[in-house]
Amino acid sequence: MFLQAVLSGIVMGCVYALIALSLVLIYKSTDVVNFAAGEFVMIAGYAGLFLLDWFHLNYAVMVVLAIVLVAVFGALFERTALNRIIGFKYNAEAALVPMVVATIGLSFVLKGVVRVIPSTEEVLRLPPLFGGPPVFLGDLVLQRQDIGIVVVAVLVMVALSLGFNFTATGKALRATSQNPRAAALIGIPVRRMRMLAWGLASALAGISGILLSPKLLMTPDMGSVVMLGIAASIIGGFTSLVGCVVGGIVLGVVQNLVGIFLSPQAIAVTPFFIIMLVLVVRPNGLFGEAMRLKKV
Amino acid sequence: MYGGLRGIELAGILLVALAGFILPHLLPGYFLYTGNMLLTYAILAIGLDLLLGRTGQFAFAHIAFFGIGIYGTALLESRVGIPFVLAMPIAACIAGAIGFLIGFPAARLKAVYLALATYAFAECAQWVFRTWDPVTGGPDGLRFPPPVIFGYQTGTDRSAFPVVAIILALVLAATLYLTKSKLGRHMCAIRDSEHVAAVSGIDVRRVKVIAFTVSAVFAGIAGGTYTLFQSFINADVLGAAQLVTVLTMIVIGGSGSIIGVLFGVVVIGLLPEVLRAMPQSLLVWQEFVYGAILVAAIVFMPQGLWGLVKPRLEARRAPKPARVAEAIRTQPKVSL
Amino acid sequence: MSRNKIAGCIIGGLVALAASTGARAEPGVTDNEILIGMFGPLSGPLIAYGIDPVAASKMMYEEANKKGGVHGRKIRLIVEDDKCNPNDIVSVVKKFVTVDQVFMLHGGSCTGAVSAAADYINREKVPYAMLNAAGDNAVFPPTRYVFGSFQGTQRTYAAAFATFAAQQLKAKRAAVIVHDDEYGKANAAMAKATFEKLGVTVATIERIPPNISDVTAPLLKIREAKPDVILSGAYPAPAVLIAQKYAEFGMTAIPLLQSAQGIPTPSVFAKNVANPDALQNFYYTWAFNDIGDAAVRTKYISLFKAYNDNREPGPFMMSGIPSAVAVIAALEAAGRDLTREGFVASMEKLNVKDDFMPGPIEFGPKRRDAARTMVIIKYDGKSQKVMPGTYTWDGVEAN
Repeated sequence: MFLQAVLSGIVMGCVYALIALSLVLIYKSTDVVNFAAGEFVMIAGYAGLFLLDWFHLNYAVMVVLAIVLVAVFGALFERTALNRIIGFKYNAEAALVPMVVATIGLSFVLKGVVRVIPSTEEVLRLPPLFGGPPVFLGDLVLQRQDIGIVVVAVLVMVALSLGFNFTATGKALRATSQNPRAAALIGIPVRRMRMLAWGLASALAGISGILLSPKLLMTPDMGSVVMLGIAASIIGGFTSLVGCVVGGIVLGVVQNLVGIFLSPQAIAVTPFFIIMLVLVVRPNGLFGEAMRLKKV
Repeated sequence: MYGGLRGIELAGILLVALAGFILPHLLPGYFLYTGNMLLTYAILAIGLDLLLGRTGQFAFAHIAFFGIGIYGTALLESRVGIPFVLAMPIAACIAGAIGFLIGFPAARLKAVYLALATYAFAECAQWVFRTWDPVTGGPDGLRFPPPVIFGYQTGTDRSAFPVVAIILALVLAATLYLTKSKLGRHMCAIRDSEHVAAVSGIDVRRVKVIAFTVSAVFAGIAGGTYTLFQSFINADVLGAAQLVTVLTMIVIGGSGSIIGVLFGVVVIGLLPEVLRAMPQSLLVWQEFVYGAILVAAIVFMPQGLWGLVKPRLEARRAPKPARVAEAIRTQPKVSL
Repeated sequence: MSRNKIAGCIIGGLVALAASTGARAEPGVTDNEILIGMFGPLSGPLIAYGIDPVAASKMMYEEANKKGGVHGRKIRLIVEDDKCNPNDIVSVVKKFVTVDQVFMLHGGSCTGAVSAAADYINREKVPYAMLNAAGDNAVFPPTRYVFGSFQGTQRTYAAAFATFAAQQLKAKRAAVIVHDDEYGKANAAMAKATFEKLGVTVATIERIPPNISDVTAPLLKIREAKPDVILSGAYPAPAVLIAQKYAEFGMTAIPLLQSAQGIPTPSVFAKNVANPDALQNFYYTWAFNDIGDAAVRTKYISLFKAYNDNREPGPFMMSGIPSAVAVIAALEAAGRDLTREGFVASMEKLNVKDDFMPGPIEFGPKRRDAARTMVIIKYDGKSQKVMPGTYTWDGVEAN
């Protein structure tokens, strides 16, 4: 029983990690926390389902389309709405509260749009990418989709880490968040970088949506899983990509252990308790960089 | 206190108190109920603004203290038999004490981390409200009797409205006093630049902890006023949705100024009622419209409504040079 | 606000002002109409529980109006959205009572929200019939003006399941999995009490949050407890997860009993579970006859379509019917000389048996929950079979 709990915890952890990766990507590039990240995941899932049901597309085509749709939407939102809030100040921290309100407003907009469609009243499910009978490791059970989730989470983490550290674009993105004014002075197109960051993160949310919708089931409110993604990224360190996966796994396993040894009722409060604990005791999480002191 | 209460501020406070006595005779219960909710949210929002708009601390634990105020007042009245006039201040002090305690770790956190940690605290508090059966009634919630204040029976919207209005008037006066005091100046200094404030000799941690405490006390008071006109509480109304509502009231109205916050309370408070009046086939769009208004408002008015109106008002009131010289000459000496 | 609504509010306000000065005729009743304030979740996360039931109630009132109304009076509805939110419900109810001056209130799909308004309703002495809320907390203890539970309380569901499990499935050990909200609490308490009365051991009660995304922990604990039957009171999404995980962990030999609220449309449920093995031993409770009786089903669906532009109704449509039927019957019984107190007295004496439910809609001087009879349906993913017999709760509380 303990082993199964740990195994399932690792899988759920990678679910949270995928969302955390999208969050941290945006944070590393633009210093903004996207509270609508969960809704991006939700939109991707529903877009995928409607593309399948209404247009009878091939699954692979649907995946590509859904990801592109969400990525474009994210980039556009950044360019039209968020950019205006930051304006020419370049300093994202001063605009923190309006940004938070803007992303919260966006989550209402996205939820509202989905809820208008009558068929979303019911719980729906996107068919999984990796279907088929579950895999058995002795007494332990694992769904194929679960294995897919873990593999993709790790792959994305590796790809993003390499990208951030070794490509010119990655370094440009990091520069944009660390010191936008200086980055602009060097000639980095700050606004385009921000748009790129949001587009990428939204695409990542899109991938998450396709992978996670079969597992989490689709309701307009499934975006609330974003808090678990935030908890995962805090445990791992809000600026660390590796931390997302490690943090997610820690969170998933701890939740299951709490559920077994304490009570499933405590599962709801565990991520929040952990967020508080980590931020008070070790704000940088497991792998994060120390908070930079912003200049006056 | 710097500058004293301006005439217009005093008039505003008296107006609130006066409205509290006159309106119950003019309006039916539904409008008074809406009014009571707006007044309560005003106390909540002013409390949060002290922390967010004035001291620049992005702390989102406010709803937890609201809940402590409600449950505290209700339990003290119904289980211990303490009358409202004592129960509410005690509950507010309990809220303040907890605010004081979280102020210390919170003072060390910055920006987004502070926001997340305090939001997590609010969620934990909601979970406690929902699961602590023996005290809070758990998911079934708590029914409480209408308070009696020196023989005056409250409980209906009509009878509670004057009391809530007076409490708001007192809260407004206290806020004005606080913001015009040296402490208030220190809070603004910390908001504008913590670094410079520390270097100027302000005890940043002390001021932050005080801000957390006072903000929590205000939320506790709002909780007390809630018990004057409601009869039931459970954890459902003490969650993220209500937090977002108070936050948007401040941000859309204009953080850092009392008038702005009150604007925001009225606009955001009435917006759901206005949206609910949509024709029935369009009701399902309410959420979308609400979100769209929010995004549009914040994108086009990042300083809030008051931030839009204030510069125009000030331009009109711009003092003539002679009056400026006079004002400088008669200003009392300021010591650091 | 639209101009008409603003005008309505102002006029309503003036009327209220005039009305508050002295006694006069019963509010909401004129020579040719009865005004009823109706509310339910018409937007927000629980929209599925409100849109069709409200439409179904409306349609029953329209049918009555077509036949000439009640004692020559037509029933007029004002419909408002409460989003299943306690503050919204209180606001809507106060508007109905103090501005619109309705005769009675009819609405509410969520127990917790409904409880918030109950005190005000009793204080103002306005008759109130719930729409489709189970309403446990608002009808126990019973209060004079609140009539509810037209599709059964959580107590009824739990008692029905427990009795079926003990008597038909011959279970000796039971596991219960419910949510940690007021629904789940009532569910678990009654299940435990009924099981103990029938000599069944309750091996474990697992309480899960309503928005749980991974049911591994509770199901592992249930597997450890080796039950003969599993009772689930979960909502739609967790219900699917539970069915999936229970199959994944090889527990399909154990009958799984799921409460109606978690399985709105059986075919969609089966599609979501996506595993026919999971439904080998699957049962659910239902408070209506539309599954067991095709004629009933066709009758009400065509009626609905006629009133709603030929739109196919959603799963909860039937739940809007009993409350409207009860209100109409009580209005008839109260006579032409209609008062609020008279209406309450007729509701107390109500005993209506119609084709859409297996049991009667019934109240009493100390009884405010209408429906106590359920049927159990076995569903294997393809076809539904109504189990023989009906299950009626005897009204005895858990403690």
